[in-house]
Amino acid sequence: MRKTVLLFIFFVAFSCFSQNRQILYNFTSTPQSLLTNPGSDVKYNWFVGIPLLSGISTNVGSSGFSVYDLFADNGVDFNVKLRNVVFSTSRNDKVSINEQLEIFSGGFKLGDWQEGSYVSFGMYQEMDVFTYVPKDFAILALDGNQPHLGKVFDLGDLTTRGEMLSVFHFGIHKNVNEELILGARAKIYSSIFNVSSTKNSGYFYTIQGTNSIYEQVISSDMLVNTSGFTNYIDNYAGNVNSDIMKKAFLGGNLGLGLDLGLTYYPRKNVQFTASLIDIGFISHTKEFQSYSYKGYYKAEGLTPDFIAGNTNDLVQEFEDAIPLDTLNYKYTTWRPLKFNSSIQYSFGDGRDSECNCLGDNEMVYKNSVGAQLFAMSAPRSPLMALTAYYRRRFFDSLEMKATYTVDSFSSKNIGLGLSTTIGKVNFYVLADNLLEYQDISKANSLSFQLGFNIIFPDKNTPD
Amino acid sequence: MKKKIGIVFLCIFSLSCSSDLDFNQVNDLKLEPVVVTNLATFDVQAHQFVDGGVEQTVSGDLMDFDVFKESFFDENLTRADFFFEYNNTINRGFRINIFFVDANNAAIYTIPFNIPAYSGTQNLVTKTEIFQNVKLDLLKKTSKVAFVVTLLPGPALSENSLGSLKLRSSATLYFVVE
Repeated sequence: MRKTVLLFIFFVAFSCFSQNRQILYNFTSTPQSLLTNPGSDVKYNWFVGIPLLSGISTNVGSSGFSVYDLFADNGVDFNVKLRNVVFSTSRNDKVSINEQLEIFSGGFKLGDWQEGSYVSFGMYQEMDVFTYVPKDFAILALDGNQPHLGKVFDLGDLTTRGEMLSVFHFGIHKNVNEELILGARAKIYSSIFNVSSTKNSGYFYTIQGTNSIYEQVISSDMLVNTSGFTNYIDNYAGNVNSDIMKKAFLGGNLGLGLDLGLTYYPRKNVQFTASLIDIGFISHTKEFQSYSYKGYYKAEGLTPDFIAGNTNDLVQEFEDAIPLDTLNYKYTTWRPLKFNSSIQYSFGDGRDSECNCLGDNEMVYKNSVGAQLFAMSAPRSPLMALTAYYRRRFFDSLEMKATYTVDSFSSKNIGLGLSTTIGKVNFYVLADNLLEYQDISKANSLSFQLGFNIIFPDKNTPD
Repeated sequence: MKKKIGIVFLCIFSLSCSSDLDFNQVNDLKLEPVVVTNLATFDVQAHQFVDGGVEQTVSGDLMDFDVFKESFFDENLTRADFFFEYNNTINRGFRINIFFVDANNAAIYTIPFNIPAYSGTQNLVTKTEIFQNVKLDLLKKTSKVAFVVTLLPGPALSENSLGSLKLRSSATLYFVVE
C-alpha cells in the first residue's frame, strides 16, 4: 500500500502537460476542431456527435523519462532504474496526462443559406494532471541527507495539479465578411475532484556546524488545496458512482469560462487563425480541505539544562515549529489557459475538372502548408510548442493533415490525422509521435484522438 | 489513394510495438535513505556546577525522547549510530551517564563516559555507539533519556572557576523502506 502511495506521489510529482492538439487545431473537416478555436472555419448545416463516441482523446507526456526507463523488463533492478531516472531528470521536467471524453455535441447553422452564423454546443468530461518532477524530494527519499551535506533541498520542487471535471459549452461563430470569422464559446465547469499545490517554497539543508555537529534548518511554506474528496475520507455511506454523476451534472464546484477565436483570410489562399481557450476559473466552495505545512525549525537535538532542568521534547518541538494544519477555506483555481495560432498558405485547384453547372465556383484548394504556435500556462513557465504542417484534401470526402512538432517533450514529433466523411458519417482519427510507435514504451509523449459525427454539410446555394 | 492512406495508417498502428514492460517491479521498490541530524548539544560553564557557593557533585536532566517509538522509525529504522564528542576545559574530571529510559521509568540501556580533567591541552573524548538488532530494539522502546553528570574528585569549583564542559553529538539513521 505504501509503495502504491509512494509511486503515486512520485508520478503526481511530475506534472501534466501536453494539451497541445496540434493535429486537431484548424482541422476543419471535423467539428471538434471548434473546441480548439471557436472561430474555426467549420461549415455545416447541422451536425451531431455520436454520443460518447464523438470525441475520445488522450494525451500523455513526460519530458524527462519514458515508461521504458522505469519499467523495462530487462533484468536491471527497479531501484537502479529509479535512481537513474531521478538523477537524470531536472526539477523542470514534467509529466502530464490529459483525457477528454465528449458526452454529447451538436451544432446547427442559423438562418438561411446566405447567413454565416453557426451554433455549436455540447458536454465533455476532462481529466487533467500536471506535475513537475519533485526531484529534491526524490533524492531525499532515495539517499537521505547524509550523502548530500551542503546541498540545499528545494521544497518548491513539489508542484502539481490534478483535476477531473465536466464542461458544458455553447459557442457561436459568424462569418463577419468574406475575410473574417469570429467565434466565442461560453463554458460552465463542474469540478468533480481537484488537487492543487503550485505555490510551494522552502528549503532544507545540513552543513557542518560549530557548537553542534551540524547546522540543520528546515523552512517550509507548503500548501495543498483539495476539493471533492472530503466526503470520502471517513464514514462515507453514499454511492460514489451516483455522487460523481451528480457532480458531473453541475453538482460539483462550479466555474465559468470563455473561449475566443478568429480566422482571417488576408488573401484567398492565405489564412491566419488564433484562439484563447479556457479563460476561466473554478470556485471551490464545497467539500474543500487544505493542508498547510508552514514554519521554520533549526534542529539542535536534545539540549539538556543541568541547572534549571529542561524537558525539550524533540517530536513536540518539531511539530510546534512546523505544524501540519488542516484548513477549511474556499479557494479558486484558474483553468490552464491555452493559446493557439496558425498561418497557412494554400495552393492547387481542388475542383473537379468538369464544369460546375450549379454555379458553385468557389475555389477549393487541394494543398495547404502552415505553421502553428501553441502555448499553455503552467505553474512555473508557459509550455510552448511549434508545429509545421501539411494538409491535403483527397476527393471531397477525405482530408489529411501531417504535422511536425517541436516541444519540451520531443524534437521530432510527427503526427498524422485523417478525417473521412462517407455519406453523412464523419470519422476522424489523429495520432502523434508516430516515430515512437516502433517502441511505444520509449515514447516521451503520445496523443491519440478519434471520433464519429453525423454531418449535414453546409449549403451555399438555395435548395 | 484513400485506400493507400488507410493502409499506411493501419500499418503504423499494427506494426507499433513495445519493449517488454513489467509494472510489478514496483513491488521491488526499496528506499535506503541515510539521515544525519544533531542528537544533543550542551555547553555548561564551570561556575554553573556551583550553587550558593557550594559545588553540586551530581547534576542531571531527564527529557522526553520517544522519537524512535514513532511507527515510521519502528518499522523502517534498521541501524542508528550515535556519535558523541566531549570537550572539557574545566580542571575537573567527569563521569557522564546517558540513560535510556522506557515507559516504566526503567533504565534499559546506559552509555557511560569518563572525561579526564583539563590539563592545558585540548582533549576531545569521542565515542560512537552503534544500535542494531537487539540493541536497536531497546532504542525503539525508549521514551525518555537522562543525562547525569558526576564531578570526579579534585580541586573544588567556585563561582569564579573557568572552563566549560561541551558536548556535540549527532545521529546517523539508516532506513530501509520497502
